[in-house]
Amino acid sequence: MDFRPSSSQQLLVATARDFLRKECPPERAQQIALDPGGFDQALWRHMAELGWQGLLLPADLGGSAGSLLDVILLVEEMGRACAPGPFVPSAVVATSVLLAAGGADHKKRLLPAMAGGERIVGVALGDAGNTLAIDERGRLAGRALFVEAAHVADALIVAADAGGERPLLLLPTDRRGVERRPLETIGPEQMFELACDGVAVSREDRLEPATARHDALHAGALARTAEMVGAAQRVLELAVEHAKTRVQGGRPIGGHQAIQHACADLVRDVDASRGLLYAAAWQASEGVPAAADIAMAKAYASEACLAVARRGHQIFGAIGYCEEHPMHLLHKRILAATLDCGDAAHHLEDVARAIGLRG
Amino acid sequence: MEFGFSVAEQAFAEEVRAFLRDNPLDRFALDGMDAGYGSGAHSRAFMRALGARGWIGMCWPEMFGGRAAPMFFKLVLFEELARAGAPFGPLAGSWQTADAIIEYGSERLRAEVLPAIARGEATFWQGYSEPDAGSDLLALKTEARRDGHHYVIRGHKIWSSHAGIATHGLVFTRTSREARRSRGFSMFVVPNGTPGMDIRPIRSLTGGVYHYEVFLDDVRVPEDLRLGPEGEGFQALLNGLDSDRFWGRFYKAPALERVLRRLVDHANATGASTDAGLRRRLAAMAAELAALRLLFYRAACLLRDGAPITYETAMAKVYADETGQKLARLGMDLLGLWSPLRAGSREAPLDGEISHAYLTSLGHTIAGGTAEVLRTTVAVRGLGLPAEPRKA
Repeated sequence: MDFRPSSSQQLLVATARDFLRKECPPERAQQIALDPGGFDQALWRHMAELGWQGLLLPADLGGSAGSLLDVILLVEEMGRACAPGPFVPSAVVATSVLLAAGGADHKKRLLPAMAGGERIVGVALGDAGNTLAIDERGRLAGRALFVEAAHVADALIVAADAGGERPLLLLPTDRRGVERRPLETIGPEQMFELACDGVAVSREDRLEPATARHDALHAGALARTAEMVGAAQRVLELAVEHAKTRVQGGRPIGGHQAIQHACADLVRDVDASRGLLYAAAWQASEGVPAAADIAMAKAYASEACLAVARRGHQIFGAIGYCEEHPMHLLHKRILAATLDCGDAAHHLEDVARAIGLRG
Repeated sequence: MEFGFSVAEQAFAEEVRAFLRDNPLDRFALDGMDAGYGSGAHSRAFMRALGARGWIGMCWPEMFGGRAAPMFFKLVLFEELARAGAPFGPLAGSWQTADAIIEYGSERLRAEVLPAIARGEATFWQGYSEPDAGSDLLALKTEARRDGHHYVIRGHKIWSSHAGIATHGLVFTRTSREARRSRGFSMFVVPNGTPGMDIRPIRSLTGGVYHYEVFLDDVRVPEDLRLGPEGEGFQALLNGLDSDRFWGRFYKAPALERVLRRLVDHANATGASTDAGLRRRLAAMAAELAALRLLFYRAACLLRDGAPITYETAMAKVYADETGQKLARLGMDLLGLWSPLRAGSREAPLDGEISHAYLTSLGHTIAGGTAEVLRTTVAVRGLGLPAEPRKA
């Protein structure tokens, strides 16, 4: 047993932290988050030059053949910096689906371009708010809610009903009948409604097997957990720093037990979440069945990291309520991550079945 | 990173499981009244069986009768015993005492006590707390006065687990009138039955006895039963603290997982498993126990690698104890009107284990450092927050 990242993983993390400090400082993350429809094309390209979007891909598809654990360590750093961009939907979930279920043509056409930062593929794989269905004439109609970064996506991978089946389709966003309508959230995530009206789809648009959706959503759930852990780690660091330097009544507020004990709970929640995250990611990377472990990690971290954000606000007092302060962005980032790729209730039901509870 | 057990560790785990299959637990007599306090009951018979297998001293250096097995073998043994609900209660204390004797014990302690520990014959109680020295341990008044090649100990210890059924006490004393915060304290290994030692049971809120108080009325102890140099007992205590907290609570995750499995079986049998709220609470508890186990594994790696530990074991202990309370509470909710039925009563569900755990778990966030003291440790030692001013 060994909790230490390998030397190449340590290098990946150090490079990512350094890069994000320079290229995505808090002010920049803040600026993009507050801009509706904001997307930093230069940053996205720059990340691609570092090989990030291609980390899951083999070399012959333009990737650097990393493991899921490598991706998790990288996304943790992105969460810490609140780095913008559709990394999880495109570089983790869509990439996983295409690798497992894309035809040779799909793969060759899309994956190298995605790794290069030239193409973005979004996903609409959830069931909630999804009424997409294919009729007998092969026309796709209905809508899917909560599609992240659809405005910058060249294509979307969608799950639709087709006479009891639930096939996956690769849908170019410029196809006739496809419309993307923004949803306004309280957070930095750019959410859209995908509306389809009589969209022509064919055999060639199908990605098979459709079960690739499950594994891809598991990879996405781990990545979202990593994002939460990274953001919660940042809250912990900022809150402890504040507790040491904010002086009231002649002493730092961190000299009082009420604040000390709150900080002790922050580090517990972050460490416990990270332990589950790494163990599940390691198992998945080793090819050991990890579905229940991933569900536990996502469900646990959703509670614990959100608690970190909320407790962090209390430690910061009034200043944390300001828009220019980094707290709200970290908090909203965690909140959004708790919901994507299965919320806590969804994953707890998976855990309930895994521990043998009969329905 | 690597989260699995090695081939050798897995083989050893299988060896322990085979031992447990061949030796059903009901063959081992339990000592004392309050079997377990949540931490495995005290059974001399079971400890002797572990000793006979060579497992108690397996990690000691060869010159002390061990076979220098890696520390993770202790982890594996503990995990298998806790998972099975075995009466391993005194084991952590035996290991900790042996480690201290190996590090700085006298020739006599090494020659007499160490082999008895290895055989599972010697078990220990801790004489640390006193009526006026709880969280503030250094307020203790028990004195050991030197008299030639002996010490004469006088004082009053309390909350000593197993004192009436163990073989030796670890008695923490003041050996200098000028004892300041960290110097002037010494530890002694005192055999039960030494004249002047009066051990009295304390009946707890469970109705059973787990703790004792010990009156020491001019107890005469030879100097070579002192553990470590005179006056440096507190530093030794501090040095061993992280390891104590670790081994004192490592059993919790596997032990609580066993309880959770029983609750899941019960929920399935009664149909309560279809209740959505209950399903979520049980599932969330499973995730919490997995997180708890990993916090301890991480601390184990730090201990194994000799890496610095500032807050990790303190945090893990608090989390273990609070999670134990939460699980007991969940169990009581699941059992409803049946929940207060005690072991031995008609209709008692799950052998009365849950109502017992509900009560004993109340003590766990107090014993061995209260949750409040340990949170302060995490904040000050781990996160570097300023310590509250205290009297010298």
